[in-house]
Amino acid sequence: MSRSRTEGLLPPGDYYLSGNEAAAEGALAVGCDFYAGYPITPSSEIMERMAWRLPEVGGTFVQMEDEIGSLCAVIGAAWAGAKAMTATSGPGFSLMMEPLGYAVMTETPLVIMDVQRAGPCTGQATRVGAGDIMQARWGAHGDYQIIALSPWSVQEMFDMAVQAFNLAERFRVPVVLLAEEAVGHLRERITLPSEVTVIQRDRDKTRPPFGSEEPDGVPPMPAFGDGADLLVTGSTHDEWGFRKTEDPEVQRRLVTRLSRKILDHRAEICSVETYCMEDAQVMVVAYGFTARSALHAVRHLRGEGLEVGMMRLRTLWPFPEEAVARMGEGRARVLVPEMNLGQIQGEVQKAVDCPVEAYHQVNGEVIPPSVLLKWIRERSL
Amino acid sequence: MSRDMNAYLREEIQRTPFCPGCGHGILMGVLLRAIDEMALPMERVLFVSGIGCAAWIPSPHFKADTLHTIHGRAVAFATGAKLYNPELITLVVSGDGDLSSIGGNHLIHAARRDLDMTVLCANNMIYGMTGGQVASTTPEGAETTTTPGGNPERPFDLCRLVAAAGARYVARYGVVQPLLLKRAIQKGIRTRGFAFIEVLSPCPTQFGRRNRLRDPAETMKSLKARLISQRQAKSLTESERASRIVYGEFASEDSDDLEGRGRDA
Amino acid sequence: MKERIEIRLCGFGGQGIVLMGLVLGEAAVRDGLWAAGSNSYGAQARGSACQSEVVLSRAPVDYPRVLAPDLLVALSQEAYERYVIDLQKEGVAVYDAGLVKPRGGLPQPHIPVDATRTAVEGLSQKQVANMVMLAAVAALTGIVSQKALLGAALDAVPARLREINQRALEAGFRLGESAREGLSYPLPDWTLCEASARADA
Repeated sequence: MSRSRTEGLLPPGDYYLSGNEAAAEGALAVGCDFYAGYPITPSSEIMERMAWRLPEVGGTFVQMEDEIGSLCAVIGAAWAGAKAMTATSGPGFSLMMEPLGYAVMTETPLVIMDVQRAGPCTGQATRVGAGDIMQARWGAHGDYQIIALSPWSVQEMFDMAVQAFNLAERFRVPVVLLAEEAVGHLRERITLPSEVTVIQRDRDKTRPPFGSEEPDGVPPMPAFGDGADLLVTGSTHDEWGFRKTEDPEVQRRLVTRLSRKILDHRAEICSVETYCMEDAQVMVVAYGFTARSALHAVRHLRGEGLEVGMMRLRTLWPFPEEAVARMGEGRARVLVPEMNLGQIQGEVQKAVDCPVEAYHQVNGEVIPPSVLLKWIRERSL
Repeated sequence: MSRDMNAYLREEIQRTPFCPGCGHGILMGVLLRAIDEMALPMERVLFVSGIGCAAWIPSPHFKADTLHTIHGRAVAFATGAKLYNPELITLVVSGDGDLSSIGGNHLIHAARRDLDMTVLCANNMIYGMTGGQVASTTPEGAETTTTPGGNPERPFDLCRLVAAAGARYVARYGVVQPLLLKRAIQKGIRTRGFAFIEVLSPCPTQFGRRNRLRDPAETMKSLKARLISQRQAKSLTESERASRIVYGEFASEDSDDLEGRGRDA
Repeated sequence: MKERIEIRLCGFGGQGIVLMGLVLGEAAVRDGLWAAGSNSYGAQARGSACQSEVVLSRAPVDYPRVLAPDLLVALSQEAYERYVIDLQKEGVAVYDAGLVKPRGGLPQPHIPVDATRTAVEGLSQKQVANMVMLAAVAALTGIVSQKALLGAALDAVPARLREINQRALEAGFRLGESAREGLSYPLPDWTLCEASARADA
């Protein structure tokens, strides 16, 4: 279904917004009507915008006492029927890990926007990093799958906010918009569409809310107040929500389905883009802001006659393994520049047969095109 | 007159998990009777609980929407649900360790925000489920598995804490005072704003047997003997009061505006 | 013809450098251009070398930050010193005549604009020197239209400050026009071409 713009939403057209502002507008466009959060640099502009924009569209905003409480409130609201979100950065994202695991276990659709800064710990609060990639994947304990998207532009902060909510509703899973400070604070022209695709959860209360016949199925999710007598728990539970904390088969079936409902639908979830790849000997794999530096370098090197191309990962989790493997086939070399010490590099290496080399930069600054130009050129001659 | 409470229970669950002599079963019964008398529309009642024995009072037993959450965060979950759907009659039922120790910050902030919800804190003065470790509510000197020489720290006075944070209605009763407790729960639910009720609910298994109260009946008798009213407390010296527990209402507002809260509203 | 025009605005914290970048980018979008902007953030934005950069183009750019600016606009000596070294060889520097003393011996043209003095003496409001300068730059270079700049600026400031900002912009346009008339050399050709990075089909 698609949703036409309703009262309170910005009219379609061109705007000059920051990434953080655009992400908030994207959330509103797809129907986000609840926000709970706690201030943290460099994501606070999302919360500040939601604080005045949500009341304009009839939504609810609350500033909580910390990030743990923020995500818990988001989950509580989601079960009351909300399309709910929070935004944060490294230290706050760390605090959210336990409720994130709860959201995975209870199959609660929600969106977390993590505007990454330089870590670990307090690190450099105003500076950029991409160090939360593995935390998004593995941050909570136990085995699970999650969805994480990587925007590279202000337009994509809007578009992926929409997509994040739709994926969350479709798969009943928390979705992380893994933005970076450099995109959150970037201002760009952005075109707001007249309507966006909107996916809504199935609120059928006749079928079990925590189980499915199919091993990769997504059950319906009624809301509190629907008369479904919901039994929601983070403990291992059967299809109706009854705690089964000592039953090996229930544990196995639940944990397997939580993973398979994501992994079996990778083709539907994963998205990549390629540039100049047709005859490329060297494939650069990049994501987020780094892909913009890499694309600048690749276009320049094409001008020099070098056979280089780029693949941009729009989805980081589940990792678009198949697309990377297919595109990497027969290349001489794959290069992975990252604003961390190599978090996606290993995933790329698992997918391709040729040698993978990585460029790591963790100085709190974006990787400039000049650096990648030289680094890629040296590996493409 | 006895009432049939089965309508409030999930038929799949035929027994509680609580130890013999645990106060939580009494609280469970009192809570349902309070709700029954008020004729609350159960499809609008949301029970939220954290982790620990007391968190199992509503989940999975009560036939209503129940949100069994993570340790300490029940009030934060309830905050989101209540803010999003103010029609939900929101009751948080959890233990002292859950609500006041790991979750203490959420508790005082919810009181400060004056969210329209009722928090029932089943206080057994110990971490029961994990094996009897000291809690922030354990009396000074009490023996626990992590205070072999007796608890060297002072306990929280939860009612004073939550009242100071701005709660509209604050009361403390023991499970040995079921009628007073029931009335307090009803007043809490009727209160437009944040209500907190501390329910003393003894734990013979983890607290009693380490503190010379081996017999469940003894723990109940001991609790009853220690409870004194605020008026009685006034006539005691501080040292006489030290071993007693003062029950009563510590914050209460006129709660006459009760429309929409059931038949005796 | 160029694929992109890069502008760096700089000064000290409090001069309204970040606002200048915001207004310039917004004006470009109103002119139908693409714009991308980044600026100093947090404590940096309040420091002695605050900067705001804008990249203008006809289509989305690959790299959205300034690589080597075509145009440097400096409102303080320290910021000027710090950023003039990045200026393109074919670039142009515009500086506040009262606050910046340009280095000698640089190949790029340096154009003075009396923005702060105009704001203080002509408008009795030092705070609007940024808008005087921005308007002067627009009139001098034509990178954005005067109409779009006026609209963008007045929408960006609170209602009670619109009148003074409008006067500042009008004064700036006049300063820019007379500066351009006084030039003894042509400014670089800053016409934008359509090139853009497209993903493989």
